[in-house]
Amino acid sequence: MDFELSEEQEQLRDSVRSVLERECPPAVVRAAYEGRLDGEHDRLWRVICELDWPAIAVPESMGGLGMGFAELALIAEEMGRAVVPAPFMSTVAQFVPMVLETSLPEQQKILLGTVLDQGAIGTVAIAEKGSGWDMSRMSTEARRTRDGWVLNGTKSFVFDGADATTILVVARASDDEGIGAFAVPSDAVTSTAVKLLDPSQPLADVELRNVLVPDDAVLVEPGDQKGAAGIRRALEQATAAVAMSMTGTCRVIFDSTLQYAKDREQFGKPIGSFQAIKHRLVNMLIALERASSLAYFAALTIAEDDPRRSIAVSMAKAAAGDCQRLIVQDGLQFHGGIGYMWEQDLHFYLKRAKSGDLLFGSAAAHKANVARALGLAA
Amino acid sequence: MRLTFDDSVERFRAEFVAWLADNRPSEEEIRADPALSSGHLPVWAKRWTRRMFDDGWLVPGWPPERGGRNASPTEQLVYLEEMERARVPRTTNPQGLGIVAPSLLDYGSQEQIENYALPILRGEKSACLGMSEPGAGSDLASLSTRAVLDGDRFVINGQKVWTSGARHSDFCFLFCRTDPEAPKHKGISVILVDMETPGMTVRPLPEIVAPEYPDLNEVFLTDVVVPKQNLVGTLNDGWAMANGSLAHERGMVWVSSSIVLDDDISRLVRDAPSWLGRVSEAERHALAERIADAYIDTAAARCMGYRGFGKLLRGGSAPEQALMKAFASEARRNLAMVAAEVQGPEVLEASPPAVHATTLVPDENTSWIEQYFRTFALTISAGASEIQRNIIAERVLGLPRS
Ligand SMILES: Cc1cc2nc3c(=O)[nH]c(=O)nc-3n(C[C@H](O)[C@H](O)[C@H](O)COP(=O)(O)OP(=O)(O)OC[C@H]3O[C@@H](n4cnc5c(N)ncnc54)[C@H](O)[C@@H]3O)c2cc1C
Ligand SMILES: Cc1cc2nc3c(=O)[nH]c(=O)nc-3n(C[C@H](O)[C@H](O)[C@H](O)COP(=O)(O)OP(=O)(O)OC[C@H]3O[C@@H](n4cnc5c(N)ncnc54)[C@H](O)[C@@H]3O)c2cc1C
Repeated sequence: MDFELSEEQEQLRDSVRSVLERECPPAVVRAAYEGRLDGEHDRLWRVICELDWPAIAVPESMGGLGMGFAELALIAEEMGRAVVPAPFMSTVAQFVPMVLETSLPEQQKILLGTVLDQGAIGTVAIAEKGSGWDMSRMSTEARRTRDGWVLNGTKSFVFDGADATTILVVARASDDEGIGAFAVPSDAVTSTAVKLLDPSQPLADVELRNVLVPDDAVLVEPGDQKGAAGIRRALEQATAAVAMSMTGTCRVIFDSTLQYAKDREQFGKPIGSFQAIKHRLVNMLIALERASSLAYFAALTIAEDDPRRSIAVSMAKAAAGDCQRLIVQDGLQFHGGIGYMWEQDLHFYLKRAKSGDLLFGSAAAHKANVARALGLAA
Repeated sequence: MRLTFDDSVERFRAEFVAWLADNRPSEEEIRADPALSSGHLPVWAKRWTRRMFDDGWLVPGWPPERGGRNASPTEQLVYLEEMERARVPRTTNPQGLGIVAPSLLDYGSQEQIENYALPILRGEKSACLGMSEPGAGSDLASLSTRAVLDGDRFVINGQKVWTSGARHSDFCFLFCRTDPEAPKHKGISVILVDMETPGMTVRPLPEIVAPEYPDLNEVFLTDVVVPKQNLVGTLNDGWAMANGSLAHERGMVWVSSSIVLDDDISRLVRDAPSWLGRVSEAERHALAERIADAYIDTAAARCMGYRGFGKLLRGGSAPEQALMKAFASEARRNLAMVAAEVQGPEVLEASPPAVHATTLVPDENTSWIEQYFRTFALTISAGASEIQRNIIAERVLGLPRS
């Protein structure tokens, strides 16, 4: 058991960090918040594509870099640190894994090709307003017809749903034979960007009205058990990536709060010398270490295809949720009036951490998963 | 980053597991002759510690003449995992083996090593640790037990408290004030005192659970006379040893905490379904979430431990041990609390008389609520959780002193 990064992994992380520091300083995030991003959004994504990060976990045989999920997770953590307003999580941590886990070689060639060669944005549509990411309760329906499958329903919280070229939709068969995955071009659906608390990570509603999916665009046929397992595995990757990204964001809030506690003086002393603050900063550190260790563990179980991966991912996401709760709360509190101001960059991180908990299953949802895996709940 | 150890480490583990199976004392043997306190060495314990010493399995990281085999840090880690899983203690005198002997090996004279440290390692002698006093707990440096150098002997007067195992120990590793004029950290020395010395009075202090097996004691010292050569290290330089002793104690304690947590959570997950079957669905959900939390803490303790260990291997900082100490001890306390609440009112029925805690921790038969109260030993002793937080705040986070 070794949680330390290898030399190559350390180099990767350092280079991602330095690129993002240069290309995505807080001023860029602020521009996203204030609707002044203009071409910046595209420029950031182009930089990411030029550096081949979308290819990180794609096998070399398919034109990728042939690294694994551990490396993808390290980049996700950096994306969280820099609250990057670019479609990395959607395309790289959701779309690409879903393609790799579910589709046939010829489909992979086409779908990955659009991303790796043309820099297209891809995303995955699973969640719905009524059921979140719980696929057993989703209502978007796939009906078999002579010409293919027809999809009807509305998906929500779709990462970069309004900018994606291709959306991989997960839907349930009308005869309840199980779930399937379908590649849908964006012009076949109505995607509506939603106004958000955290505009640096755009989400959309995707409405599917009688969308016909020809057979060659069906990634997983409903009823195909192995395919359904692939969908779940892809969802696990996406969820683990969000957990990693949240710990990256929480680390920045923590570092900033710690520095502030050392610098800010009241009553003639740094506020960090008051035990009421000190001990709570330690509690924040413990929550962060707990979440971060479990996120690395989850990433490793995915990278090594360990049988514990499913429960490990739920533990990681639950711990990331617990962590943000404490770090956002005391992080903001200890900044005093300053933390409450729009002019400070702090709120970008606070809001990203909060949204992270609510996307891809909250801490409560994932604790319920853990309880279920332990045989303690239905 | 990876989930597995090298093959060579796994071979080391397998070798130790096989040796354990062939050599360990049986549970019946242990129950037939239980240790009465953490200073008591029953016959089986003496034999067992000696065998571990002779075969180089007592402290594998040390050289053979000290009961080891020069094992690497990673080998020591898997050794501790298996040692804890085996549910048989290396010794029934943990403070002797874990703190006193290593401190003597670091600071003691050749004669002290021969007469005190090695006998502990060979299971021949037991030691207690005389640090705390009524007026000096967390603030150990304010201790006032006074040793006066008088020619070639010390005359000692004072009182120690919460001295584990003192009643059955052969000698005490005693922290005394030898220079009352110096600043408080600079006037402390450590002196070895045989418990049989005239003037030593030990009074057991029954604890919050299992009062029939008191482990803690008060130790009163009245004109106790000890030869000068019993001074450990340099006069007035005992504070370095206070830090050193505790560092020995904290070193890899997380490994055993983490394995005990694993054991505890498996027991809870095994028993919980039948307990949860008795409550309403809403209550079941609320309780199941808390068990999930405890399960997550257990996994986190293991992952945080390994992560910290990885840093340590690469020359990282030791104060992070304080973080593990605080987290793992509180996780054990929370787990026992959750388990007691899940079990419901029948948890209040008293457990059968426990075999002493140092012999088998935790005992399968100990009720969760007694277990819960026992875990406070972990959050109070060896630097209470609040003190760990001060240490982390100042040494890991670099915050200014209060
Ligand atoms: C919404 C809002 C409206 C406001 N309106 C007004 C107004 O109309 N008029 C006006 O004059 N002011 C106003 N204020 C300012 C407000 O009174 C201050 O923000 C508040 O007194 C805290 O001071 P500070 O922001 O400088 O934080 P600091 O005093 O720097 O505190 C920072 C952190 O350190 C903690 N801390 C400080 N000292 C200690 C200590 N001794 N022990 C433990 N912890 C400590 C604090 O609790 C806080 O968490 C407003 C603030 C807000 C947020
Ligand atoms: C099971 C057990 C075994 C023990 N075995 C031994 C032994 O073998 N030998 C030995 O010498 N001692 C032993 N002790 C004693 C132990 O070391 C002390 O109990 C411990 O150091 C705490 O001291 P105290 O009990 O006097 O509490 P105090 O120091 O009085 O602390 C009381 C409370 O105040 C808090 N507190 C104190 N200072 C601060 C501060 N600066 N900031 C914030 N909070 C603070 C503490 O955390 C605690 O919650 C043992 C204790 C236990 C419970």
